Amino acid sequence: MRNALLVARREFTENVQTKGFWLGVITTPLLLLLAVNAQRWLDASTPTRAFVVVDPAGLYIDAIDAAVDRLHQQEVLKAFGTYLARHALRKEPPTAADLESTPAVDVDSLLKRYSDANPAAVDMFVSQGGVAMALGLVRSQLKPDAPPFEEPRRPYVRVKLPAEVDPHDSAEVVAEALRPWLRGERQVADDERNVDLFAAVVVPPAVIDHVIRPGSLPTQPTPEASVQFWAANLADTDLAAVIEQAINDHQRREEFRARDVDATTVRAVQSTSVPLVKLNPTKASGREQVSMADQIRQWAPTGFVYLLWISIFAIASMLLNNTIEEKSNRLVEVLFSSITPWELMTGKLTGIAAAGLSMVGSWLVALVAVLWWQAGPQAEFAQSLLEVVVGSGLLPAFLGYFLLGYLLYGGLFLALGSVCNTLKEAQNMMQPVMLVMIVPLLTMVFIPKDPNGTLARVMSWIPIYTPFVMMNRAAASPPAIDLYGTTLLLLASVVFTLWLAGRIFAVGILRTGQPPRLVELLRWISRVDATGG
Amino acid sequence: MTLDEPVLELKHLRKTFGSFTAVDDVSLTVPRGSVYGFLGPNGAGKTTTLRMALSIYSPTSGSVRILGRPSALHVRHRIGFLPEERGLYKKMRAREIIAYFASLKGMSLAAARKRADDLLEQYGLGEFARTRCEALSKGMSQKVQVLATIAHRPEFVIFDEPFSGLDPVNQQVLEQLIDDLRIAGTTIIFSTHIMEHAERLCDRLVLIARGRALFDGTLAEAKRLIPRQILLRTTSTPDGLQRVPGVVGIERLTNDQYALTLTEDGEPDAVLAACFHHGLPLLAFDRSEPTLRDVFLRLVGPSDAAEVLA
Repeated sequence: MRNALLVARREFTENVQTKGFWLGVITTPLLLLLAVNAQRWLDASTPTRAFVVVDPAGLYIDAIDAAVDRLHQQEVLKAFGTYLARHALRKEPPTAADLESTPAVDVDSLLKRYSDANPAAVDMFVSQGGVAMALGLVRSQLKPDAPPFEEPRRPYVRVKLPAEVDPHDSAEVVAEALRPWLRGERQVADDERNVDLFAAVVVPPAVIDHVIRPGSLPTQPTPEASVQFWAANLADTDLAAVIEQAINDHQRREEFRARDVDATTVRAVQSTSVPLVKLNPTKASGREQVSMADQIRQWAPTGFVYLLWISIFAIASMLLNNTIEEKSNRLVEVLFSSITPWELMTGKLTGIAAAGLSMVGSWLVALVAVLWWQAGPQAEFAQSLLEVVVGSGLLPAFLGYFLLGYLLYGGLFLALGSVCNTLKEAQNMMQPVMLVMIVPLLTMVFIPKDPNGTLARVMSWIPIYTPFVMMNRAAASPPAIDLYGTTLLLLASVVFTLWLAGRIFAVGILRTGQPPRLVELLRWISRVDATGG
Repeated sequence: MTLDEPVLELKHLRKTFGSFTAVDDVSLTVPRGSVYGFLGPNGAGKTTTLRMALSIYSPTSGSVRILGRPSALHVRHRIGFLPEERGLYKKMRAREIIAYFASLKGMSLAAARKRADDLLEQYGLGEFARTRCEALSKGMSQKVQVLATIAHRPEFVIFDEPFSGLDPVNQQVLEQLIDDLRIAGTTIIFSTHIMEHAERLCDRLVLIARGRALFDGTLAEAKRLIPRQILLRTTSTPDGLQRVPGVVGIERLTNDQYALTLTEDGEPDAVLAACFHHGLPLLAFDRSEPTLRDVFLRLVGPSDAAEVLA
């Protein structure tokens, strides 16, 4: 026992001293932070982009201006909401019950519906005085130490056409004249500052004769008969999308007018909707509404399966590597003059499990910490995720399946490492193992859709897949027979595997030369005297 | 165990791997306090015998008695073992690795670290105590391995081919270390195929070839196995020496060189006296002892010997 602990201690110290360990520990929280904040940081770092509109006939320029301004006002409205959530006096923080009753619509689709179907709300916000009015309304509700509200930057601003370009030239000539600006060779003036021109919209007057209507023959659009969007940056498609939406909305309004249809009526009709709620029959009466937390609870296990898979194999691979190290430089012989193969094996399993658990533990702590830090009324998703991760049984399940899965695969990898002389040999033998191991990764996205279906149930009973599949099903309250039965089977498999691995390890690790054939392996296992070679 | 009980006693030890017999009926006795040599060509069964002595392998048949116990498992802490092929954990520091192996032998970690520092200092590696093993030179690594073997102050040390791969300077250091251990009363086994080392260091030895022990005894006994010879150079013919008691044969080697074979109790001095008595004009008279190399050659036969003595 003392010897196994000494071995474990050495393995642990050696592994936590590697660069890989600390990279693993440090990068994961950074990635999490990045993932949570990417959008905000990206927005903050993107400059206001300038564009010009050449529309000599005045067809769409007003519509475009309005749409770009609305885009900005939406952001202002959103930022104002966040500002309020953070700095307004609240009587109480949101409770779990609040979260449970949050309807299961994600933030993105909510915003989309808000902006697409109901631009009137933004228009109303603006027409009633915008932020200045709203601030006046809520001033008394703000915390005394609240900082002043900062309006977000405009994402896009329309600037004047350079004087050298004559808007009344043909579209072709205008586009040609604009090239030096679009390529960044020249800059345009924006409020006494010179900036790069991000895009140019050229509207040839003839485009009005080429509006595509139902029943018209499909023709290949030509540049002369289309609104032209010129931009060297192909990645940022937001402006093009906003403009396309704006000119189409405008054109459709014109069409309504031409057909004597009242556009306001149409818009009112388009904004009509029938409410639909998602309900879960397994929840208590009165609380059946599917909340965001419910959905996260359904999907969070998939994240845990992935984490489980990554950590088990990362850690079991460490085991494989250093078994081969000990074998290839014959350290085992010195070790075996002091300790038994069984002590060495348990020591290695324990030490590396400790190192692995430290790393995985640091990930979990980082996950909870980042969510906790970021969570709040303004980050409903993070809040709900935190709720699920901390509040449900997923974490203990994860730790349990991690330990059992690790022991199972760790035993296999140890045995494998003990019969290989080089890493290359081990990698060859690993290929079929990898093929088998990849299966739970492939099924992890299907299983939550039918967590107690045939595929899930059958796979749960295959011990090498039990940890992953049962983790995957953890949120779906699997039948007790599955839950306890598979765990027992897994436990038995772990014991059997470790016993088997111990026998192979004891013989294999002293052996040199070719890896053994299967028949030989069986002989080693069946032999009473396992060191009999 | 009592003081005069042998440290290691192997009786009719046999080890087969499938149809191959690696060790065939080896019996030997290592008395306490001796420096005991295992001599033999590669593949003779030295390492397998040592592994059985240490219970790393279990014998197919035969018995082991080590430090008074039937298995080394019971007395691991009192034994030090340096295998022939050896390595270190690349990422560990010299003192840590010595301390680690000593702690596996039952020392407390604190005491083991202190001992590691002392040993490294004593054998000239003090400044490398905190160097990672991957940064040590080959010679330094080997020293560290040897120190790791003896750090727990074993009363019985087994070195398998300790000199292989060492440069002459480090061979010297190792010989010194073995001598230090001997003076401290440690019983030492070392296997080697370098006869000169065995001859310089051993007081007892076993000769192993093809899995069998051909000889087990003291160095002097080994030398007595082959007839003693005198080499002499003379311009005359030494036929007259034939009649000296103890001389059993005279062989002409070259033009003026002759080899005289003596019986076990033949007296080289009597031969020399006879030379003067007969007025034989002597150019050279060499009464040197037979070397272990000669013994070995005679016991194992030229084919096995060629491999070792090459």
